[in-house]
Amino acid sequence: MEIVALIAVAVFLFTYALIIDERIHRAVAAMLGAAIVVFLGVVSWEGLLQHIDFGTIFLLMGMMIIVNTARGSGLFEYIAIRTTKLAKGSPIRVLILFALVTAVVSAFLDNVTTVLLLTPMLLYVSKVMKLNPVPFLVTEIFASNIGGAATLIGDPPNIMIASSAGLTFNEFLIHLGPIMVVNMVILIGLMYLIYGRSMKVDPGEREEMVRTLNSLDERAAITDRALFRKSVIVIALVVLLFFIHDRIGEILHTFLPFVDPAMGLQPAEVALIGAAILLVWSRQPPEEIFEKIEWPALFFFGGLFVIVGALVETGVIASIASVMVENVGSTGEAMFIVTWFAAIASAIVDNIPLTAAMIPLIHDLGATMDVYPLWWALALGACLGGNGTIIGASANVVVIGIAEREGISITFVDFLKIGMLVLFVTVAVGLGMLWMTFVV
Amino acid sequence: MGYSSSLIQRKFKDIVGRRYESVLKEYSEFLLTEEEMLIPEVRSILIPLDLFVHDISDEAIDVLSTYNATISLAYITDARVIELLEQALDHASTEEFRAKKEEYGRELLERTAAKLKGHGITTQTRMFVGHKGDDVVRMAKNYDLVALCRRYADGESTDVSISPTVLRICQRVATPALIY
Repeated sequence: MEIVALIAVAVFLFTYALIIDERIHRAVAAMLGAAIVVFLGVVSWEGLLQHIDFGTIFLLMGMMIIVNTARGSGLFEYIAIRTTKLAKGSPIRVLILFALVTAVVSAFLDNVTTVLLLTPMLLYVSKVMKLNPVPFLVTEIFASNIGGAATLIGDPPNIMIASSAGLTFNEFLIHLGPIMVVNMVILIGLMYLIYGRSMKVDPGEREEMVRTLNSLDERAAITDRALFRKSVIVIALVVLLFFIHDRIGEILHTFLPFVDPAMGLQPAEVALIGAAILLVWSRQPPEEIFEKIEWPALFFFGGLFVIVGALVETGVIASIASVMVENVGSTGEAMFIVTWFAAIASAIVDNIPLTAAMIPLIHDLGATMDVYPLWWALALGACLGGNGTIIGASANVVVIGIAEREGISITFVDFLKIGMLVLFVTVAVGLGMLWMTFVV
Repeated sequence: MGYSSSLIQRKFKDIVGRRYESVLKEYSEFLLTEEEMLIPEVRSILIPLDLFVHDISDEAIDVLSTYNATISLAYITDARVIELLEQALDHASTEEFRAKKEEYGRELLERTAAKLKGHGITTQTRMFVGHKGDDVVRMAKNYDLVALCRRYADGESTDVSISPTVLRICQRVATPALIY
């Protein structure tokens, strides 16, 4: 292996170690790694611009603007209170409804914001019901990761895969949506079997609990009624645009003949258009909204793309791909390996750098096999693998972090036992369904 | 703190930053605190009455009836007024004034007690000459709740604000107070 390739591998592994340990902020670690490969000339300026996936970065940025603007209206708190009231004091209903709401919201908005805003309400509900909050919290984590895996915009690995492979929102819905619906049913069943018996409230106290929960006023959560309405409309519009982003020219052409029917919008364009509409319409101070963009996350992505770009430019990825091609006989076999490798690796290490490294590898495999099914295998493994450990995905870290701050302990081993069960069951079911679609 | 906990907190801080604090602040606007969730046991309630309290509202009775407590109705005639009258008028006129006020107080106590009894509430009544603020603060120590009419010790003003004496009582009593 050439010296530059060794440098690229060393920087990648060193950065990964820093990201795992997190003593240095992961964004700083990624930028440091990128700085090293650029400084040593492993990646040129032109190469740097080529390797940074602006589709991913702009899509994340657009969605951050929409979510942070909508957050100011009290939309998420409103959803949390409505969900609580719908449960009518039944612990099982709380578990199921919060799992479903978390999954649906995570499918369209980012997982971190979803769990950050729903977890305080779940903790409150469990406190009122005098129940152990752990079953609710772990179910919320799993639901967030499963829901996020269902759509193009639900989880960063999906955004990266879609941007690089040119996959559409509807393709994600068609191939991953049904898998995640089945997995949600399985998850709720599993959680019921594991925790159902311990989730009982004292019948004598139930009426008082329901009264306390019903006294929550969802309208009081809406801090800005006009912004609330506008946020809901713009989010609905953006979701609608995602459904038709690849056929937008065809649709517009019927009303506006000058529009090219072949025109399509990239998902990032849809997110930025939605962000622009909401900013103009809501008249929120742009400085405040732009301050809320998670710049560290965007720089983290930018740095990673450069570090992985170094692996591509030095031929490391191509070498791994050729080894894979020599040892893998069919697309089905490759699907199996990619899914389980991505799932198990994502449970241990951050799935974002993992996906960033896997994407060029799958592109390279495209020279000898049909890689279309492999994108779904990667998305499935990278997203659901996060359920395996407490550090497997950002949603896990956020929920466990909040729980620890509130004095609720969920140990690494306790989570591992149930997380690995959920990981293996949901990935196996997902791989089985993909197998039926692409191999059988 | 073990490695796992400190790792989680480092990652949490890097992923979430200061957003959790702002989320908690938003939720605190409408979620009850643990202290607020505890329902205090109320067995005895003090309701001071005077010349300016003409009735207890139905809304107040609805709330008071949920406690299943004994209510003590105390009609207080202002001692300072009696002192002033004794200085300004002859003894017979003062006694006549006092008798009229006592008659009014008795009627108000009987009427209020009957109304509360109609809602299934047990009552005790007493009437005395004293200080409308200090005596209520002193008596409140022996009760679980004090219910104060906003017009108590207010004079005949027609505005809807809370009487200054009621506000002063609320500031001084350790017992929970309810203003109706």
